[in-house]
Amino acid sequence: MDASLFRIDSLSIFMGIFIGLFTLLTIIYSFGYMKGRKGLLRYYSYIILTLIASLGAVFSNNLILFIVFWGFLGMLLYLLIQFGWKETTSYTAKKALIIIGGTDAFMLLGLALIWHLTGSLQMDQVSIGLTSKVAVIAYLCLASGAFAKAGAMPFHTWVPDTAEDAPASIAAFLPASLDKLLGIYFLARLSLEVFRMTPGINVFLMVIGSVTIVAAVMMALIQHDLKRLLGYHAVSQVGYMVLGIGTGNPIGIAGGVFHMLNHSIYKSCLFFSGGAVEKKTGTTNLDKLGGLAKIMPITFITFLIAAFSISGVPPFNGFASKWMVYQGIIKTATNGSGLWIIWLVAAMFGSALTLASFMKLVHAVFLGQPSEEVKKKKQGEVGPSMWIPTVILAALCVIFGVFAYRVPLKMFIFPSLGGVPEFTGIWDPGLATALIVLGIVIGFVIYLMGTALKTRTTETFVLGEFIEDHPDMRLSGTDFYNTIKEIGILKVIYRLAEKKVFDIYEVGAKATLGFNGLLRYMHNGILLTYLAWCLFGTGILFWVLLR
Amino acid sequence: MTASSIIPLFVAIPLAGAFITPLIGKKVKWAPDVIGNSLTFVLAVLSIFSVMMVSSSGTIVYSVGGWMPPVGIAMVLDGLTSFMLVTVNLLAFIIAVFSVNYMEKFTSKAKFYCLFLLMLAGMNGVLISGDMFNLFVFLEIASVASYALVAFGTERYELEAAFKYAIMGTVGSLFVLLGIVFLYSYTSTLNMADMAQVLMQKGGGNIVLMVSALFIMGFGLKAALVPFHAWLPDAHPSAPAPISAMLSGVLIKSLGVYALCRIFFNVIGMTADISSILMFLGALSMVVGVFLAIGQWDFKRLLAYHSISQIGYVVLGIGLGTPLGIFGGLFHLFNHSVFKSLLFLDSGAVEYSAGTRDLKKMGGLAEKMPVTGTTSLIASMSIAGVPPFNGFWSKLIIIIALVQAGRHGYAFWAVVASVLTLASFAKVMKYAFFDKLKEQLKQIKEVPIFMKLSMSALALICLFGGLLLVGAVKIDFLDKATDVLLEGTKYAAIVFKGIG
Repeated sequence: MDASLFRIDSLSIFMGIFIGLFTLLTIIYSFGYMKGRKGLLRYYSYIILTLIASLGAVFSNNLILFIVFWGFLGMLLYLLIQFGWKETTSYTAKKALIIIGGTDAFMLLGLALIWHLTGSLQMDQVSIGLTSKVAVIAYLCLASGAFAKAGAMPFHTWVPDTAEDAPASIAAFLPASLDKLLGIYFLARLSLEVFRMTPGINVFLMVIGSVTIVAAVMMALIQHDLKRLLGYHAVSQVGYMVLGIGTGNPIGIAGGVFHMLNHSIYKSCLFFSGGAVEKKTGTTNLDKLGGLAKIMPITFITFLIAAFSISGVPPFNGFASKWMVYQGIIKTATNGSGLWIIWLVAAMFGSALTLASFMKLVHAVFLGQPSEEVKKKKQGEVGPSMWIPTVILAALCVIFGVFAYRVPLKMFIFPSLGGVPEFTGIWDPGLATALIVLGIVIGFVIYLMGTALKTRTTETFVLGEFIEDHPDMRLSGTDFYNTIKEIGILKVIYRLAEKKVFDIYEVGAKATLGFNGLLRYMHNGILLTYLAWCLFGTGILFWVLLR
Repeated sequence: MTASSIIPLFVAIPLAGAFITPLIGKKVKWAPDVIGNSLTFVLAVLSIFSVMMVSSSGTIVYSVGGWMPPVGIAMVLDGLTSFMLVTVNLLAFIIAVFSVNYMEKFTSKAKFYCLFLLMLAGMNGVLISGDMFNLFVFLEIASVASYALVAFGTERYELEAAFKYAIMGTVGSLFVLLGIVFLYSYTSTLNMADMAQVLMQKGGGNIVLMVSALFIMGFGLKAALVPFHAWLPDAHPSAPAPISAMLSGVLIKSLGVYALCRIFFNVIGMTADISSILMFLGALSMVVGVFLAIGQWDFKRLLAYHSISQIGYVVLGIGLGTPLGIFGGLFHLFNHSVFKSLLFLDSGAVEYSAGTRDLKKMGGLAEKMPVTGTTSLIASMSIAGVPPFNGFWSKLIIIIALVQAGRHGYAFWAVVASVLTLASFAKVMKYAFFDKLKEQLKQIKEVPIFMKLSMSALALICLFGGLLLVGAVKIDFLDKATDVLLEGTKYAAIVFKGIG
């Protein structure tokens, strides 16, 4: 048997290229963003180590080797989060380590089960049907690691925290791009190669995907922090990838993998832009931002492009991949199951809410009136080392959208998944783009004609004052969707979410400490009690051995 | 002068050191440090030499005073013994280096090294003894020395802990003695190899089962298996840091786990019942220990509970009895001695500089104490089983072995304990090393050079511990030790061959 430790195929090469690209952009961005911070030597060495470990993970063929790289990445994430400067940073780092490291431990169990089942740990030689209970457990154990890394529910809670508390460069580098790439890569490898999927598991994946999409985007709607809001979207988008892979048909899988790539591009772009805002204004609190479009035009444009991408507005890349995922979902209807309509509604609903949430975000950060905090700060765009990577990513958003078929799909996605899937829907990005551009031009002409031909005279303001002089009149946009918190059942859910009932980490901590309290009560420090236990234990030993 | 004559040196050298140190140490201030460190260094070198000897010439037997076993007293050096000797003596040397600076704040270094070497003599004695009664004597030497060392600070709570430890330890020892007495009356011999042969001929009976129960209780108490563990969380944190490292790192293993394995595998013979008892106790300790640990706020107490949990892994692996399980258990034993000693040394370093063991009073220490911070991180990741550190490999092997043997339930609990271990060390790292630096800790400094050296040495072993799984090192060091346990009661024949 061929037992090569590494494997180089189109999928891993494709992953490797983009891992390298994101690392490079992050390093360039960090030159500007992390300037003047302490411990930069360690910071950059951890980034390089992350690069090496990620490459190691995607090129590994042996599962043990893979897990060594994979687990090491969890520790590097932990160390990189520590570079944040918020009060809660070390708590967040701890939480991320426990969730990721904890699922890694379960991966060991999955790995052991695979070995037990097949006697091999080579990913390309193993192909297990998910028919027995043990196989399903093995799959779930390994998939939990992929879910935690990618941030799918229920292991998602570290992502929003990390997005808020880690430096923006790290939020873009790990939870937004590399960990997504790796998590979905591993899920794809597992679901396509190591295991042979059954309809039941496919439905399971699609449930996880749909719940993730909708629940996370609902949480995103009510956030007050720029980076945290982006973090919730980073969770929500994972849902599309899991959903795509869960469809089990070629177009859906290709869509899921393509969405993974697109997500990494636009979400890094969003985090980079958000980091630029943070660098300039010193805050990510939406209440304190506003009116930055004039001050930071480049950041505004890149942010806008990425926001359109993530919301699935054509012709940007997010649309192209979501479109493929939708087609994949519709195709599952041919299996005779009527559930496809649920997945489709969840996916489209999530997409609409994403758009809504980004309207709020763009308004709160870039449009409207500048807040007091913004006015006090120095004006102007951030330095080139910060905007160049952001612009590159924004450009990729456009290119991968407009030339979706010609560039990314043909060059990376299809070769790595082996074969071109059949498209059912008709979507020619080139033509559509032309139409959209035409539409915008016509609209602009009409607008010009309208304003040029008609002049309108109105009262300047109800109170006859300049709005800039009255900061309390400012509409920040933060509270756009606060009313949804008050709607019936959602009210209950949001309240529970605020109590962290859905946070697997908090729930686990409560249970553990409860059990701990019980055991501590039994350890009362009195010698006689301890001796009594010994006697009791010995008694049982005698009974067991001599009965 | 034959090769076998190095065997008694493992007892003779520390024993002699223990007598000389207080005599000279009163007059010459630097003498205890020099004697303690040079002797432990010699022992560490000898122990590595013993591994090579076993690999070249197999099991070696030394007959004390020239009287041939089974009448005379035998000292046996085989794969398991040499493996344990390396673990104990290497750790003892590194910890002795740490003590040079650390023990300055205690007044009497001479007494410290005297007790330290005495304890080392006892542990080495247990390891090399081929005679049941000698094993007991050495066990008592090590135990009594450790009772005194726990009380070394002579503060109120230290004395209380030492008192509890002494009482419970003595109860354990008496159970062991009782077991030995019954075995002696049944087999009429004290030589372990001879005893194994007699037991094979006469067959087991209720008396052997009763002795088994007594031994599991006695040695289980020394190894701190639940429910015989309650002395450990008091005793280990109360001792000075180097001693905590010795107690948690090697003492519970050489007196507890090693003795348990040697007697059950090689003398009495493993049965399915005993195997399942050991596995159950191991799993229980593993889970209960970690649940107790995670809520602790005293740094050293938290570590002490983790010792219970990690010993659980070792016993679970060895109790499984398959080649892979024993291999993983022994490897975890070695790894645990390294990272747990390192963690105790780190806690000592924090106490030395910041003057506290309460995690809530620490914070941001990594900034002020980079070496301590980094080594703690490495040790924490090792014990939590994060790759590529050594703890990952042994846990992986244990889990694979459990699954391979069809023990999925135990494998699941091993994973759960591993997650909780990670969680509790994430807590330690957060509160002690990564949080914001506290105002009153702004002035603290990194520890002196010898402490740094010894912590770095252990951290390096953690980092490269996985390499022990490759090549000749694995064969000579780990496989030889595993083989000894696997050969079971054939041990007797091998030892008798070794005499000639």
